Amino acid sequence: MSEKILVVDHLQKEYIGKVTHRALNGIDFELNKNEFVAVMGPSGSGKTTFLNCISTIDQPTDGQVAINGKNPFEMNDEELAQFRRTELGFVFQDFNLVHTLTVKENILLPLTLESVASDEMDERLEKVVTFLGIESLLDKRTFEISGGQKQRVAIARAVIHEPKLLLADEPTGNLDSKSVNDVMDLFASIHDTFESSILMVTHDAYVASFAERVIFIRDGMLYNDIYRGESKKQFYQEIMDTLTFLGGGMNEL
Amino acid sequence: MSFNHIVMQNILRDKWTYISYFLSSVFSILVFYLFTITAFHPLMAEIDTESTLGIAMLLASFVVYIFSFVFIAYSLYSFLKKKTKSIGVFIITGASMKQVRQMIFRENMFVGLVAIVTSIIIGLVIAPIFLMIAKQVFQADDFQMYVPIIPTVMTIILFAGLFFVTSLFMTRFINKEAAIQLLKSEATPEKSLTSMPIRTTVFTLIALGLASMIKINEAFVDSLGMLYYVVLFLAILIAIYLLIKQAFVIWIRVAEKSDWYKKQTNMLFVANIKAKAQSYTHIVYLLTILLLAVFLATSVLYSSLHGVKEQTEAAYPYGYQYTSLEANSDEQRQEHLSFIEDTFQEEGVDYDRFDFTVKVDEDKRIGFVALSAFNELPFHDEQTLAADEFYAVAGSDGVEPSADAFDEGLSLVGSSDRNLLVTGFLNAYYVVPDDVFAQIEGADYDITAYEFADWTEQQAVIETIDEEVGYDLDKYLASSKVSLYEAETFVKRVMFFIGFMLSLIFLSAAMSIIYFYLQTTFASEKEKFMSVRKIGLSTKEIRTIVTKELALLIFVPFVQSFVMLFIILLSIRNLISTAFMQMTLIGVCIFFVLFLISFFLTRHRYVNMLIKE
Repeated sequence: MSEKILVVDHLQKEYIGKVTHRALNGIDFELNKNEFVAVMGPSGSGKTTFLNCISTIDQPTDGQVAINGKNPFEMNDEELAQFRRTELGFVFQDFNLVHTLTVKENILLPLTLESVASDEMDERLEKVVTFLGIESLLDKRTFEISGGQKQRVAIARAVIHEPKLLLADEPTGNLDSKSVNDVMDLFASIHDTFESSILMVTHDAYVASFAERVIFIRDGMLYNDIYRGESKKQFYQEIMDTLTFLGGGMNEL
Repeated sequence: MSFNHIVMQNILRDKWTYISYFLSSVFSILVFYLFTITAFHPLMAEIDTESTLGIAMLLASFVVYIFSFVFIAYSLYSFLKKKTKSIGVFIITGASMKQVRQMIFRENMFVGLVAIVTSIIIGLVIAPIFLMIAKQVFQADDFQMYVPIIPTVMTIILFAGLFFVTSLFMTRFINKEAAIQLLKSEATPEKSLTSMPIRTTVFTLIALGLASMIKINEAFVDSLGMLYYVVLFLAILIAIYLLIKQAFVIWIRVAEKSDWYKKQTNMLFVANIKAKAQSYTHIVYLLTILLLAVFLATSVLYSSLHGVKEQTEAAYPYGYQYTSLEANSDEQRQEHLSFIEDTFQEEGVDYDRFDFTVKVDEDKRIGFVALSAFNELPFHDEQTLAADEFYAVAGSDGVEPSADAFDEGLSLVGSSDRNLLVTGFLNAYYVVPDDVFAQIEGADYDITAYEFADWTEQQAVIETIDEEVGYDLDKYLASSKVSLYEAETFVKRVMFFIGFMLSLIFLSAAMSIIYFYLQTTFASEKEKFMSVRKIGLSTKEIRTIVTKELALLIFVPFVQSFVMLFIILLSIRNLISTAFMQMTLIGVCIFFVLFLISFFLTRHRYVNMLIKE
């Protein structure tokens, strides 16, 4: 049995309002070290809420989350911040770059907050920038680069501190098809090179087929999971079949 | 890359967000600095022996300081709101709240300290010019530049402290949850306005009730003193806010139901307002208050400057009034009077002399005047009295004389509220037939009054006389409307000067608020108009919508504060000069032209930027 990087135990999330809405209805999930998992499901199934509860953006109503054996919801602000900048990486659909900082400064942000020594910063920057092929962008501002480039920068920021767990919410949602391929190839090679575990939410079966495993969420419950075999094409077909069966997924493609 | 580097870049690369705030802060600090430079001028003690001027300047500095405090706190709060999303990014990237607070704190301190240094430098450069203007205003002979050590130290310490406290305090308002939530979605719709008819009515009634107490129940006002005015002020501020908010709610409701709503761009316009009703309410409110302050500062102070001559004449009727008491010797009196007349002749002043005796009952503070003498006097209508009649004349300007103190058994035929002598000298004067006057017992005050044309120009003559004659409270008194006029115009001119500077600060704050709003909402507005353009909105139609929105932001506050100004002025019309209406209208017209120009300039630039690809 391989090492678990993420253990989710009976995760529940309710939105209390005029009508209480239960977005997550008790999800159990485990992510192995160096595993790449995609989360899929119809709109409103709770897939993004699931990710947000793990990434500490949302507070779960009930259940446990353990990342690398630690529960982020039991940490105080200082510990949580430290935890985020050393063990977690985030990639968002709309990139969330800081517009007042250059590309280089955005990438270095987690290291700056951690007060990493300048030499080490340069070293890590060099490594990640070469890997992502964005050397020429370093001195540009965030509004001077394209969507695909922005997402590369966001990925660079998410992996520069070599996090144990990389969380991505629709990372290709705002990209054209060429950029989608580039970015997904990057995810795959990050997974190979940095030995990071990746949890990615997507509604795109093609994007999901880059993962090793796809889990399906429906009505706030874990519905099914399928593993990738030898062929990526075969995997894609299986994902499509499951989505068709789930309903609602097709019309988003 | 260090943490401070991020702080610096956040400001330098976001300079257009900070520029209006920075400029307004510099302006406020500058005015504070210049005021203190004037107040602490080494010659101040000589110019202004009673030190009222210095106190007025310091008081004005204090107002500037308090206002800066509110303005800076408001601006920092707006920045914080604008930055919420990037704060979320920092948090999710691993910044602790402590680091985020530190970042915001350092940013604000940096801007603040640069503003202080800039103001001090500009201040030192323009202080000589400012002192020259001050010299004119104060009509001082000498008001040279000096090394303003105390003002500089004071400005630096006070404003550094202010920035420190507000920055530290404002970082407490960082909403971590809201910041993180913003990462989830781009759109953050404002909360829609809630209708609060009961609260609005209650506060309006409280404000009106309190305000009407001034007229209805003076004892109540007096018993509360300063507290009453503070409470009234706050109640009015709250009531105005709620009224504006309620007006927006009602306007949106009515507009949505009308036929007008469905025509052309109206729906888009109303929807825009509705979506941003919260911000609109705040801006319209803030601008209304600021403009009202501008109008009041300029019009009340300027019109007070305008009415000085009439007020002076009302208080001190004569160009020069010499009052010889019983203890004064005849020789002394003659000596004084001939000196006065010689001086007038030397200076070529044509004068009329009026001599009369007032018999004074010093206990009751009333005086009797013979009818024949009274009828010689200027400023009063000639009276005819029967043997058993008397006529009452006011002791103080505008106060109906009371006949109660008169117990000579005559009947009152009429009265005048025009004071006979210097206002407040006695309570009342009774004009009686000459033979009754001869019978009356009392201290004889021999009055010699001089009247001359162009009296406001005769300061030099009166000064010469005052230096020689002076006064002796036990023997004789002297007073002149000329010296009073000089003193009054001095005070009023200083007040106007201070008020003008203050109104400039308020105006710059108002501009800054509009600029900041347009600047921060520009990106989303552009995106919105770009997308509606795709479904067929012409440039002309965009211009129409923007024109209406800008007009709402600029002219609604203008009209509101204009109306409030007139309500205030009408209710205090007894306290200030009657000429105020005219002066105020001219002032408001000037402001209106300024606003109109800036409205067209802003609209032109804003629309061009919106439609630029």
